[in-house]
Amino acid sequence: MPNEWQSVLDEIKNNVSEMAYEAYFARFNFVSNNDGILITSVPNVFIKAQIEGKYHSAIIDALNSSNYKYKEFIVIIDNNNNKPTVKRAVEISPDNTPISTFPKKVTTMASMLDKKRLSVDGNGLNPKFRLSNYVVGSNNDLAVSAAHAVIENPGMRYNPYFIYGGPGLGKTHLIQAIGNEILEHNPNMNVLYVTIEQFYHEFVEAMRKKLDGFADKYRKVDVLIIDDFQFIANKEKSQDEFFHTFNELQQHDKQIIVASDRLPAQIATIDERLASRLMMGVPIDIQMPDFETRCAILKSKAELLGADIDNKTVEFIAENVRNNIRDLEGKLNQILALAELRGVPPCELIDDSYITQSNIQTKRKTISVRQLIDKVAKYYNLSSKDLLGTSRVKNIKTARQIGMYLMKEELGLSTVEIGRELSKDHTTIMHGIKVIKNNLKTDFNLREQITDLRQKIYTS
Amino acid sequence: MEIEVLQDRLAKALNAVSRVAASTKAGLPILSNVLLRADDNQLTLTATNMEMATVQYVNAKAKKNGTITVPAKLLAEFVANLPKDNVLITTKDDKLTISAGKYKSTINGILADDFPELPTIDEKEAVIFKINVDIFKEAVNEVIIASSNDTTRPALTGVYFNTFEGSLYIAATDGYRLADKRFVETVKSEIKAIVPTNALQEVIRSISDNMDEIEVLINDSQIRFRMGEIEITSKLIDASFPDYRQLIPKNNSNIIELDKAELIRMTKVAALFARDNGGSIVCEAKKDEGTFSVSAVASELGENTAAMEANINEDGKVVLNSRYLLDALNAAVEGKITFALSGKLAPVVIKNVKSDDYTHIIMPLKS
Repeated sequence: MPNEWQSVLDEIKNNVSEMAYEAYFARFNFVSNNDGILITSVPNVFIKAQIEGKYHSAIIDALNSSNYKYKEFIVIIDNNNNKPTVKRAVEISPDNTPISTFPKKVTTMASMLDKKRLSVDGNGLNPKFRLSNYVVGSNNDLAVSAAHAVIENPGMRYNPYFIYGGPGLGKTHLIQAIGNEILEHNPNMNVLYVTIEQFYHEFVEAMRKKLDGFADKYRKVDVLIIDDFQFIANKEKSQDEFFHTFNELQQHDKQIIVASDRLPAQIATIDERLASRLMMGVPIDIQMPDFETRCAILKSKAELLGADIDNKTVEFIAENVRNNIRDLEGKLNQILALAELRGVPPCELIDDSYITQSNIQTKRKTISVRQLIDKVAKYYNLSSKDLLGTSRVKNIKTARQIGMYLMKEELGLSTVEIGRELSKDHTTIMHGIKVIKNNLKTDFNLREQITDLRQKIYTS
Repeated sequence: MEIEVLQDRLAKALNAVSRVAASTKAGLPILSNVLLRADDNQLTLTATNMEMATVQYVNAKAKKNGTITVPAKLLAEFVANLPKDNVLITTKDDKLTISAGKYKSTINGILADDFPELPTIDEKEAVIFKINVDIFKEAVNEVIIASSNDTTRPALTGVYFNTFEGSLYIAATDGYRLADKRFVETVKSEIKAIVPTNALQEVIRSISDNMDEIEVLINDSQIRFRMGEIEITSKLIDASFPDYRQLIPKNNSNIIELDKAELIRMTKVAALFARDNGGSIVCEAKKDEGTFSVSAVASELGENTAAMEANINEDGKVVLNSRYLLDALNAAVEGKITFALSGKLAPVVIKNVKSDDYTHIIMPLKS
């Protein structure tokens, strides 16, 4: 191919002045010729204007006298066209225009005007959220397997599908993905995703303007996805309306999906009837991901961004950011951006003080055993002495066991070391940790408390 | 062609056009020429260096329409030296004759047919917005200083026009500092375009007092600025700009309010002593003393320190390049600025106290 292209260029050279050739054609390159669509590149729009204007017929003549078989001739702009590689996808129109009526149609590939921005259509779903790019770990496997059940049979099991968990743990991603997957399985289903804020505003608007469509819009859907449900607090009228919508949908076996950052019962001023209805399906919580899951999330995000990232960097970020996934992503983006800016591979930035010292708190907050005990004691309105003592009163005992659990999980102490701190035998510690681990599987309140405590340990 | 035009108007237009025309040494001779087009009551002057183009319209009386190209610099300098009066331009084949009073000269040109065509912009496909010239000038000057002239990193040699949360921002960085400014409060379309720094400089140079607004048209490969009788078009830089928002520290705890003029003075003085070590100066905030000081690291020349009183809630220290700090301060509006520290090696954030739409970041030097 390059030889043929050279002969086209030679032909052009014969027909234009040497200076003009140098000015306009020196970086006129061949890119590809597939299915009769000949793509060439030039460095900028000004040169493109010459190629498509004044010199157009000269090029066509040169092409026609060459071996190229083509139906369409396209000029793209590529800064780096000294090394002709097609990095980006080219949009090509499928019409097969014959050579004689040579089309002047030109497709540009620059991604400068991003018209395709996250298109959120009428259903509120963002197509980029899929289950396939949702990383499953021990923190969310229950939620994901229930999600699969919902996708397969919307409205049958887990209705309502209620998930809760702290900010930035992937609730929105999961419920959006459910919506997208349901639509893929059943394109005719009427899926609607709204935040409770939107619901509230639309409701207020409808009341104010005395519109009727409001109830219809929500009661006609097959799948209703509500995000940020906790913001329903103190909005009694909306609660009422939501309650009726909920009933209506549920009676007709329509799927309801709700995400909130806490359990319904913990939302201030929530109507009890509504709270209990939301608990009818199984409420499932999403926990903070563990180290391996965080690594997996980072890798999948990096892949999505098309960025090259090495394991060392991934582990560094996963080790240092534990609060939530959003921060994890933020840190990744930050490192990638800085790497791009400085023109170095990301791993070289790990020791870079800018990353480690920058404002997003990456460094695991070091907390002493004593501070941890204080925090746990304070959380349960006890004194540190209670925890360090020998009282067998139930709430003190549980708090002590939680303390043991956190020392192991968060400070990485061995059971012997913990035993020394609490003046207990290491088997007692092992037992205590086991009790908490077992209870965590079933006790929502305990999970909640541990999540809270972790936040307190790392943020305050 | 036969056209009559006022000397001062023509001189001004030619001056601007000759800045854009390519230098005579480089490549195609016609690119260092200006294209003149006489069209009834208008003379149009066009020049391009194949990276950008400028078109200037001048009111004139044409007796005979026509076109020609002549060396831009020669014509500009000749016209600039003519008396303030009517200038008559006539052409015959590829020769242009220009006469005013006692002066008369004939310049050898090239026929207009060889002049490159300018790219067109389909207004239906382009994003179009208008902006007040003063706001434009201020904003561009504030960010342009942070751009790079390292051509191996093309993305950084331009100013990044980008929409974020409904507003249009412009930003520039050279990898060591970064400036970001909210440019237009609300824009309807998504914009992501890197505009070459020299094109923006040309736009700023072309702004004159009688102009009110600049109309900006952007499509996927070019940007056009229309203001008064001038139109400047530039290619966009086809590269991807770093995701710079990630680099802006979001919640510095140590924010110090300082008087801009005073800080400039202190920095300039310290810079004198920092010449030996690449201009590195130490900025230090002391809580107990309530002072903010700028000092040069001791060198053969001696040492220097200057302090001003400030409200400080946390001790902090950072080593900066004095030139970067001065650039940032000079770009900020008069009055008070905030200087935000977040550790010895974290970037310093400088903002205006009055408004929140300008952010300048300087990476510290490792000391």
